[in-house]
Amino acid sequence: MLDALSDDGSNVSGADDALEDLVTPAELIGKLEEAWLNEKFSPELLENKSEMVECVVEQLTHMEANLQRVRKGDVKASVHRMEIDRIRFVLSSYLRSRLQKIETFFPHVLEKEKSRADGDPSFLSPEEFAFTKEYLANTETYLKSVALKHMPPNLQTVDMLKAVPEPCLDSFVFLRVRERQENILVEPETDEQREYVVDLEEGSQHLMRYRTIAPLVSSGAVQLI
Amino acid sequence: MDPSEVEFLAEKELVKIIPNFSLDKIYLIGGDIGPFNPGMPVEVPVWLALNLKQRQKCRIVQPDWMDVAKLEEIRELERKEATFTPVPSLYYMELTKLLLNHASDNIPKADEIRTLVKDIWDTRIAKLRLSADSFISQQEAHAKLDNLTLMEINTTRSFLLNSLNCMYKLRSNLQPGSSTGKAQDY
Repeated sequence: MLDALSDDGSNVSGADDALEDLVTPAELIGKLEEAWLNEKFSPELLENKSEMVECVVEQLTHMEANLQRVRKGDVKASVHRMEIDRIRFVLSSYLRSRLQKIETFFPHVLEKEKSRADGDPSFLSPEEFAFTKEYLANTETYLKSVALKHMPPNLQTVDMLKAVPEPCLDSFVFLRVRERQENILVEPETDEQREYVVDLEEGSQHLMRYRTIAPLVSSGAVQLI
Repeated sequence: MDPSEVEFLAEKELVKIIPNFSLDKIYLIGGDIGPFNPGMPVEVPVWLALNLKQRQKCRIVQPDWMDVAKLEEIRELERKEATFTPVPSLYYMELTKLLLNHASDNIPKADEIRTLVKDIWDTRIAKLRLSADSFISQQEAHAKLDNLTLMEINTTRSFLLNSLNCMYKLRSNLQPGSSTGKAQDY
């Protein structure tokens, strides 16, 4: 009966073999936490990581199914359950921050998704895309029925892209460097200062504007903290 | 970020415990733990150690750095230096609080350790406040903060980042022909 829990858990779904090398469950959870922190601290919506989310959900359901078959009150079962709760917290928090950003920046998110090239990774999962479109449609209907239809006829349209503020990519963020980077341009704050370059050493932590390091966050070279 | 979320991350750190029960290896999603034998030390994550301790199934062994002499040295070094010195552990504040709250009977000189860690924390936070102040007044665009822990960064995070962003918006609106300026406060 306890064999169910002795399964060493290295059963990653075959679906992601085509997309990435096989990762161990421990690495998967590590990646989930990194994605969680990056999404939490970045001012804009980051790339969608739906394969990773699917893998994590699969691991969780697999473990829960195992736990169903074991009798209650077992020490091992409670330990596994605690771990499942922890992983589920991180996953929900990750998805929640994405949804919050989608709701704040919905027209820009849709615009970004429509204008990306076919080969590029998408920013929204299919469900998120459907949610964003619905949110846009609902907001437009709401504005129309509450205010716009009472306006003079030539003022009855509103451009959502202008109405909703863009994410501020010039916000400052804290970051930790994972791969050494050279010659990162630091733009000056005031007119008197010059711009200068810094090298980012591995393992160091910095505070700087998000705009310059945005590509490094997507590539995984730095981690937002 | 909420301090409890920083504590959540700190709970992943490994700590040695001495169980009073036996159990074979547990294959968690995040890694393998055990096997547990009564009286034999084993390393587990802090979240598990605290849970076992509350169920009176183990004794927690203090981490190597949680020692009065070592902490006194670190405190003196911190007070002398103007910059941040390397910390005993990335999560020293959270681990001290968690372990001393739940397992102070297993850790000798718990009160002294608590006072020492609090002194170290106070010195570092004072330095952080000074450097944040000079960062803002000199309008720097970049800062290196190598030996800062997540908990310390988190204390000033919302205030510092919001004020920097506000100042940036005020400045960029002053400059003629600046960026589209569509990013407003929301």
